[in-house]
Amino acid sequence: MIRRWIPYLLIALWGIAALIGPWFGEAGNAIDLERILQPPGPTALLGHDDLGRSILLRLVAGAQTSFMVAVGVVGFSALAGSLVGLLAGYHGGWLDLLLVRVIDIFLAFPGILLAIALAGVMGPGIDNLIIALSVVGWVGYARLARGQVLSLKRRDHVMAAVALGSSRLTILRKHLLPLLMAPLIVEATFGMAGMVIAEAGLSFLGLGIQPPQASWGSMIRDGAGYMLMAPHMVLAPGVTIMLVVLSLNLLGDRLRDYLDIRLPKAAH
Amino acid sequence: MGWRQPLLLLWVTLSSLACSTAYEEDSIRMGLASAPITLDPRYATDATSERINRLLYQRLVAFDERSMPIPAVADWQRLSPRRYRVRLNQSAGRFLQGRRLDADDVIATYRYVLDPNNASPRRSGITMIEEIVKVDDLTVDFKLSRSDPLFPAYLTLDILPADLINSDHDFARNPVGSGPFSFNAWPLPGRLILKRREDNRRFEFVEVKNPTVRVLKLLRGEIDMLQNDLSPELIDYLQAQAGIGIERRDGSNFTYIGFNLRDPQTADPRLRRAIAHAIDRQAIIHHLMQGAARRAEALLPPEHWAGADALKAHAYDPQRAVSLLREAGYGAANPLRLVYKTSSDPFRIRLATVVQSQLKAVGIEVELRSYDWGTFFGDIKAGNFQLYSLSWVGIRTPDIFNYVFASDSLPPAGANRGRYASVAVDRLLQQLESADSLERQAQLYHRIQRQLHADLPYLPLWYEGQVVASSPRISGYRLMRDGNYDGLEQVRVRRQQGMEDGHIAVAY
Repeated sequence: MIRRWIPYLLIALWGIAALIGPWFGEAGNAIDLERILQPPGPTALLGHDDLGRSILLRLVAGAQTSFMVAVGVVGFSALAGSLVGLLAGYHGGWLDLLLVRVIDIFLAFPGILLAIALAGVMGPGIDNLIIALSVVGWVGYARLARGQVLSLKRRDHVMAAVALGSSRLTILRKHLLPLLMAPLIVEATFGMAGMVIAEAGLSFLGLGIQPPQASWGSMIRDGAGYMLMAPHMVLAPGVTIMLVVLSLNLLGDRLRDYLDIRLPKAAH
Repeated sequence: MGWRQPLLLLWVTLSSLACSTAYEEDSIRMGLASAPITLDPRYATDATSERINRLLYQRLVAFDERSMPIPAVADWQRLSPRRYRVRLNQSAGRFLQGRRLDADDVIATYRYVLDPNNASPRRSGITMIEEIVKVDDLTVDFKLSRSDPLFPAYLTLDILPADLINSDHDFARNPVGSGPFSFNAWPLPGRLILKRREDNRRFEFVEVKNPTVRVLKLLRGEIDMLQNDLSPELIDYLQAQAGIGIERRDGSNFTYIGFNLRDPQTADPRLRRAIAHAIDRQAIIHHLMQGAARRAEALLPPEHWAGADALKAHAYDPQRAVSLLREAGYGAANPLRLVYKTSSDPFRIRLATVVQSQLKAVGIEVELRSYDWGTFFGDIKAGNFQLYSLSWVGIRTPDIFNYVFASDSLPPAGANRGRYASVAVDRLLQQLESADSLERQAQLYHRIQRQLHADLPYLPLWYEGQVVASSPRISGYRLMRDGNYDGLEQVRVRRQQGMEDGHIAVAY
C-alpha cells in the first residue's frame, strides 16, 4: 500500500520544494571555500559542491526552476494545442488541412533541436526557456485533440445537440471538451515528465538559467568535471531527476488506467 | 600428439617476437588539452604549437632561471651599442638532409619574419633589427635601429632551413627543423607523431579535450603523461592513485583582474584599492587551487631579473575595503554595482563566482557575464568592460610593460586594454629607451612595478603553478617553469617493465 503512495509523495515533495524554493535560493548560493567537494555526511545530507555550496539547498532551489518550467510549458502548450486541435477537428475542411500541415511541419522537426536553437537565439533565462519549449510542445496536444474530436463529433449526443440547434461554442464546450479532458490530462502528465528532462537538458547545455541560480541540469554539468572525486555532485541531481520523472510517469499511467472506462476498476 | 610440441614452440616464438617488435615500436604518448594548430613557427601563436615547435626546431638563445638570455645554438658579442655579432656554436644541429644549421638559415628565417609582406605575428618582437649581415658560414651580424642591451633576449625565432624557405615549403604540415625531434606523421588533427632523433623513439601527442577523460586515459595506460589543464581536485585524485607520479613546480603564468580606467566607477583609485583589500587571495589559492599557485604582486615574478621583490601585498582586510568604499561614496543604501566579464572556461567561472561572493561581503554587487572566448576577448580589446580576469602566459622579456601599460599602447597597437595612462610610468618607460645597462633597466622596471602596484590598473592575483602527471612506465621528465615540453628529451621508458609494455602495445 505504501508503495502505491511513493510517487504521489515524491511529486508532493517536488511541489513543496518548488514553493519554498525562493526562500532557499540565497542560502543555496552561499559559497564556503572550506567545504569544497565535501562528501555527504552528518552536517550536510547531500554534501557540498565545487564552491562549497550545499547540494541539498541547491536541489530545493533547482526544484523551483524545473517545476516552473514544467508547469509553465505544459500549461501553455496544452491550452494552445488543444485549442488548435479542437478548431481543426471540428471545423474540418480547409482550416483542418492548413492546421494539419502546420502540425506536420512541426512534427517533422526534431523537437529538442528546435528548442536548443530557439533558446540559443533568444539567450538564457527561464522565460525564454518556457517559450522555446512551448513552441515545440503544443503540437502533441493539437494532434491528440484533433483525433479525439474527429471520432467524437459523430457520436449520437453531439449529433443530437447539432439537431437541437446548439451553438458551435456550446457543443465544443459542453459536449466535446469534457470527453477530451481525460486523454489530455494523461498526456499533460507525461508531458510534465518530458519537460523536466528537457529543462535539465537545456540547462546542462548552458542554455537554461544563468549561474549562480540553481537548476538540476546545470548542477549535473558542474558536477561532471568532478565525477571521479565527488560523484555525489552528479548523483544527487541525477537521482532527483530520475525519481521525479519516474513518479510523473507512474502517475500518468495510473491516471490513464483510472480514466479508461474499458478497464474494470476493480483490477486497480 | 607429436604435432603439438612444434606448434607450441612456434606459438611461443611468434608471441615473443610480437612482444619484442611491439616494444621497439612502442611510443611514449602525451595527452594534450588542445592539439597544435600549425607547426610553422613563423605563424604559430597558440601555446601548444609553440611548445611542440620548440622540440622540432632550434633557437639562437635560451633563458636561464632568472629569464636572462643565455646561449643556445649561438654565442653573441656586443660589438657596439647597435651592432651584435652572433656565432653559431657546437650545439647547432643538423636538418634532416644531414646539413648543419648555418648562417644562411639564420638570415633567411629572420629576413622572412621581418618582411612585412609575410605578415608574421612574430615580426613585432624584432622590428629593431635594421640589417642582417653574413660574416662567414657560422657568423651573422645584426644591426639595430636603436641601442638595446637586452637585444639577445629577442633572438628566439625557431630557425628554419634556408633552401626550404626559398622553395615555399609547407612547414605547417610537414615541418623540417634541426631540433632534438623530427616530424613523423600527423594522421589526424588530434594525433601528432614525432620521433626523437637520438634513439628513434616515437612520441605521440594525442588531443583529449575533457580533463576527466584525459585522467582516465592516463590511469588506463592509453597515455603516459599529461601536463597542466587539470583542475586541482583532479591532480589530488591522481596523486592518490598507485603508481602515478606527480611533479609540481612554481610557474610564472600571471593571473590578474583588469580594471577599465575610462569607466567612471572603476577609474576611482579608492574603489580599486577597496576591491584589492576585499579579495582573499590566500583563501582562494588554498581552497580553490589546492595551493597550486603563489600570490603575485606584479606581472613579472620576483625571481625574474627585472621583477620587483619587495612589494607590500594589498592585505585581505574587508574592514578597510568597506571604509574605502564609504570614502568613495558607496554604502548600504547606495551599493556599488559592477559587471565582471570572464571566458566560459569552467575554472574561470568558478573563480569569478568566488570573487563575486567575496566582493558581496563588503557590499559590492557584482554581475557575472561569461562569454565564449571570441566575444570575451573582443570586448576586452575594445575596452568594453568594467572588470575582467585573464592571464599572461610565457612572458620572458620586460618589454611587456611598454606593451601593456604605456599610454600609447592602446589596442590594436598594444595591449593597454584598461586604457591606463600614467605620466610617471610613461616617463620611466621613456628613460628605459636610453638606459644602456641591464642594471639600470632593472632599477627602472622596479620603479614602474612599484607605481603600478600603487595605481592598480591590474589587480595581481597569482602565478599559476606547473604540474605533470606520468604513468609508472616512464621516468626522467623534467618540468619547466613556463610549461614547455623540452623535458621530453630526457624521458625514458623503464626497462624492467618491457614485457608488460609489449602486452599493452599489442592490446591497442
